Amino acid sequence: MFLLVFILLVISLVVFYLARGALPPEYSLAPYITPRMSDAQKLDLAQSLGVASAVCPSYSAFSSHVPGCQAPLWSQYVDWLKLVFSGNWGYSQLPGLVGSTKTWDVFSARFPYTAQIAIFSSVLTFLIAFPMGIISATHNNKLPDHASRIAALVGYSLPVYWFGYMLQIIFVLYLAVQGRGLFPSSGALATQCAICFSSPGVIPAITGLPLLDSLLSGNIPFFWDSFVSLILPALTLSLGTIAALTRIVRSSMMEALRQDYILLARSKGLRERIVVYRHALRNAMLPAITVSGLIFSFLLGGVVLVETVFAYPGIGQAIVDASLVVDINFLELYVLVTALILVVTNLCVDMIYAILDPRIRY
Amino acid sequence: MYFLFKQNPVVVAGSVIAVGSLLLALLSGFIVQPNLWQVEHLDQRLCWNNPAFSWPIPNVYNCSGASYPLGTDSYGRDVLQMIILAVPLDLEISLTIVILATIVGVALGSLAAYAGGKIDELILRVTDVFFALPALVLAIVVMVVLGRTLQNLTIAVLITWWPYYVRLIRSQVLSEKERPYVEALRSTGASPLRILFLHILPNTIYPVIVQMTLDIGGVILTFSALMFLGFSPNPTLPELGNLVTDGINYVFTAPWLIIFPGLTIVIIVLGFNLLGDGIRDILDPRLRR
Repeated sequence: MFLLVFILLVISLVVFYLARGALPPEYSLAPYITPRMSDAQKLDLAQSLGVASAVCPSYSAFSSHVPGCQAPLWSQYVDWLKLVFSGNWGYSQLPGLVGSTKTWDVFSARFPYTAQIAIFSSVLTFLIAFPMGIISATHNNKLPDHASRIAALVGYSLPVYWFGYMLQIIFVLYLAVQGRGLFPSSGALATQCAICFSSPGVIPAITGLPLLDSLLSGNIPFFWDSFVSLILPALTLSLGTIAALTRIVRSSMMEALRQDYILLARSKGLRERIVVYRHALRNAMLPAITVSGLIFSFLLGGVVLVETVFAYPGIGQAIVDASLVVDINFLELYVLVTALILVVTNLCVDMIYAILDPRIRY
Repeated sequence: MYFLFKQNPVVVAGSVIAVGSLLLALLSGFIVQPNLWQVEHLDQRLCWNNPAFSWPIPNVYNCSGASYPLGTDSYGRDVLQMIILAVPLDLEISLTIVILATIVGVALGSLAAYAGGKIDELILRVTDVFFALPALVLAIVVMVVLGRTLQNLTIAVLITWWPYYVRLIRSQVLSEKERPYVEALRSTGASPLRILFLHILPNTIYPVIVQMTLDIGGVILTFSALMFLGFSPNPTLPELGNLVTDGINYVFTAPWLIIFPGLTIVIIVLGFNLLGDGIRDILDPRLRR
């Protein structure tokens, strides 16, 4: 737990120092000013937020970088921490939204879509990679093994964004039905593809995730349209992780199948299916689970690329816009949430590992 | 070892591709003129006149005049020549990053493992902080702060890659440290630095070499993704990720702009991955410690 807090503090500190130290002071104040503030009001706000020091004479002195007008960075950081703990992340600087929507609202509106892609990609990864790895290990050096090894090696080498566009070209350009693509090429709720419903309606916000909400409220056209828009992005994202996981499952299964207890199980006359699934797989799962932390890290990084390619309205797409206009608060929020998710995932992976392997005790 | 090399067709294929791409990189100045990317043929934008393949798109503009094997892009430049110009840049950046990351990572990791105690703890915590963020996100943050030049791009990807080498070399040196010859060296009075760099490191270097070869491909994927997202210094720079960015407005009207630069990345990364896997298979008995 302390490691979690320590990591989050260090990351927020480093990003804060880099951002506020390297950029002009207007960027520090920008998330908190609304469009119609006068200069005096801006100076008051800057001094109350701790961005400008108390001795600063005027706003023009502050914005023309008069030395002594900017508060020291450590006190700026402490004031910023106080603001953040009270939930004030300022107004978003994204294009089209400057000064009108709060950063937290923008983030929480977009986060469920990213969560949908990430969760669906992880499910796909585990669903496809485990069977492929097991088949590869049990039919060692025969055709399924060679095919899946080549597929894994190629999948490892594909750029995520290029593969996204290739899937778009294949499924929307080539496999078109009556002038409309088979799958939608962009957006989270597509109505223009050949297999989509054209008027899905609206859904109440129960959990926040559109897929779940549409299922819970019984709106099947909405669910189908969201699901169909999710397939291509999730396939793109999970290809690299499927390749990595297949190789690891294959090598750990082969290692497990070489052990003496497998020989004993077979000589006892147990069915091959029980030997493979109940005995070998349990021991082979451990390396695969340790690598799921890395897999989730890759998923969270690749989601930025996939959302840009497919114009999916998640936080990955927003972070590209935020880096163009340098929205410091959005950047911090994104970095902290990502780090939080990753560290919690790694902690859960460690706990699952400790449960599965009785030799490990903390 | 040469016989093992010849026996393994995977390694042969991979090394052919990898060496081929390096040769292409070195000779690209002779194959195409280096300043070609600053010339625009605005009358021949987005055209395709290669008879070998036809696209299922209604209005493909047919180039008049010269023949373009892979079509032209939105500035009127030949896509094939842009790709040939992009390969040396990508390989140069990738090799720089991999070599620097290895040096920094191996130095810190071996020091941490050999010294043990507080230094080990400190370096482990620092790498934990770096592992808490996905590589792409960390690189984006560094690029936002530093600005868009090729040097800053190199620094950004370097910052995300060195922790992997620290972990790799640390586990190797930790197990190597317990061997009898290290104790023998200590008893003869050899200094710790001498033991570490002259004796332990040469025995633990093989996994690092394998990882370096694999990482050449991985680093190309990472920084071309950064360039694709828009962090390149110059939108007309011939670099494989940048060439894909040029084509995203024309996915359904001129798909060759995206397909061929990406295919080049796939081939280069596949070549280095095959080479790295082959080297790992060859050296495998020596890796099992």
